[in-house]
Amino acid sequence: MRATLVAGLVLSALASPVLAHHSGAMYDDKKEITLTGVVKEFQYTNPHSWLFVAVTNADGSVTNWGFESEGPSTLGRAGINKSDLPPGTKITITGHPMKDGRPAASWMHATRADGKEFNPFAGFVNR
Amino acid sequence: MSTTANHYESVDLNASHIGTAARFAWFALALAAAVAAEADVFAQAAAPGGARTFKSCSSVGDASCVVQPASDTPVASEYRESYAAYIDMKNKARGGTTYTRSDYAKMPDWSGIWTRADLLKFDPAAPGGPFSTQTTAVLTPKYEAAYRAKLRDVANGKEWDQLSDCLPSGYPRWLTEPFLREFILTPQETWMINEQQSETRRVYTDGRGHLPASDAKPLWTGDSIGFWDGDTLVVHTISVTHGQYQRNEPDYSSATSTVERMRMTSPDVIEDDVTVWDPKGLQKPWHVVNHFARVKLPNTRIDMWSCEANNNVIRTADGSSQFVLPGETVTIQRPYRDPESFYLTDEQKKLFQDELGGAQ
Repeated sequence: MRATLVAGLVLSALASPVLAHHSGAMYDDKKEITLTGVVKEFQYTNPHSWLFVAVTNADGSVTNWGFESEGPSTLGRAGINKSDLPPGTKITITGHPMKDGRPAASWMHATRADGKEFNPFAGFVNR
Repeated sequence: MSTTANHYESVDLNASHIGTAARFAWFALALAAAVAAEADVFAQAAAPGGARTFKSCSSVGDASCVVQPASDTPVASEYRESYAAYIDMKNKARGGTTYTRSDYAKMPDWSGIWTRADLLKFDPAAPGGPFSTQTTAVLTPKYEAAYRAKLRDVANGKEWDQLSDCLPSGYPRWLTEPFLREFILTPQETWMINEQQSETRRVYTDGRGHLPASDAKPLWTGDSIGFWDGDTLVVHTISVTHGQYQRNEPDYSSATSTVERMRMTSPDVIEDDVTVWDPKGLQKPWHVVNHFARVKLPNTRIDMWSCEANNNVIRTADGSSQFVLPGETVTIQRPYRDPESFYLTDEQKKLFQDELGGAQ
């Protein structure tokens, strides 16, 4: 698995796993995980969106990682549309992982194979 | 199904993968019997010759008229101070500006899509930034202790939000939710719509008063009446449901009331000057100024928001929040949900004990 666990401070206040519909208690905001994989499904939904990424592990098995973010209007304001990340898209994505080790994280930022970046928290910037 | 008196879903997520044998922890809560509050009313001086009821009619005429409370309908004593402040503003505005269907174009224009400009703090001027736990509210000792207890729980990884039960945020928390808004102004009422769960506040500006205390009950977005003071909408809100100002903010009781003065300070900003009274939670009124910013992104609309469309958040046995992920199955033993309290945290159940009275 191409996973890098980084212990440290969060990048910025806006990178905290503060999600409006539920507590962020399940996430470890002191850690970051960065994975590269292929988009399996983008649930562009309320109250939260989930980007599922198939990540190939070192032993050849595949894990379906879920990255949670805000709903469609906030993602839309961040310039992230459902059509940007169709199934099969290669992506490198960073988030705060779950404390219990299950394969999910809060989505902090991501970069598509062509270099386009996706920062969901930009959706809270007024414009 | 167990008939044991339990208060919320018990879910075991300690196992490395859910779907295996789940353990259930049970919590027995003994809530004291509710104390029925007497409808103690504060009699606002009635205008000479003022009617006790009020007819709200559309342009259709008599056939459309519905009887509503008179503008001088007394309010319960816990709202005495805020109501007096509101009436004082109304008197200074000589009753306010009355708009009709024919002069709708003279009303302020707040059309468009808006969003909260101040992130998550109820008082954007509070020190420490948007995720700070510092508050400018002067809390009563009981509410201060409850706030500290909540913060300790959160620091220990234990947190639950009623939004995860797909319940509304309620007002005044409505002000702090970071989502899109619409303000629909008509001569008779103004709707303030939060995208989140389409939660809508209705402010009646047709001259009616609050519901009489005998008919009042806690409402998610409260009972709001208002008037126009020039281009400023002045709103008095009572009868709210107890809750929290935000997850990193204190709680408020159902005795909370507010006076708001809302106006467009520039084409892209609506200011909401809010003063909160809460005889149980606040030692003195809490004054804050919030802002809504115009959203200008192309193609922005507010859509119907169904909270259940993708809600895999569950409450754990210890009262915190967890997910069910794809491929997992959890067994939830769900007891009776008392509608007054099932969504509250243990700390809130203690704090609001005198306001609860259901079949526990």
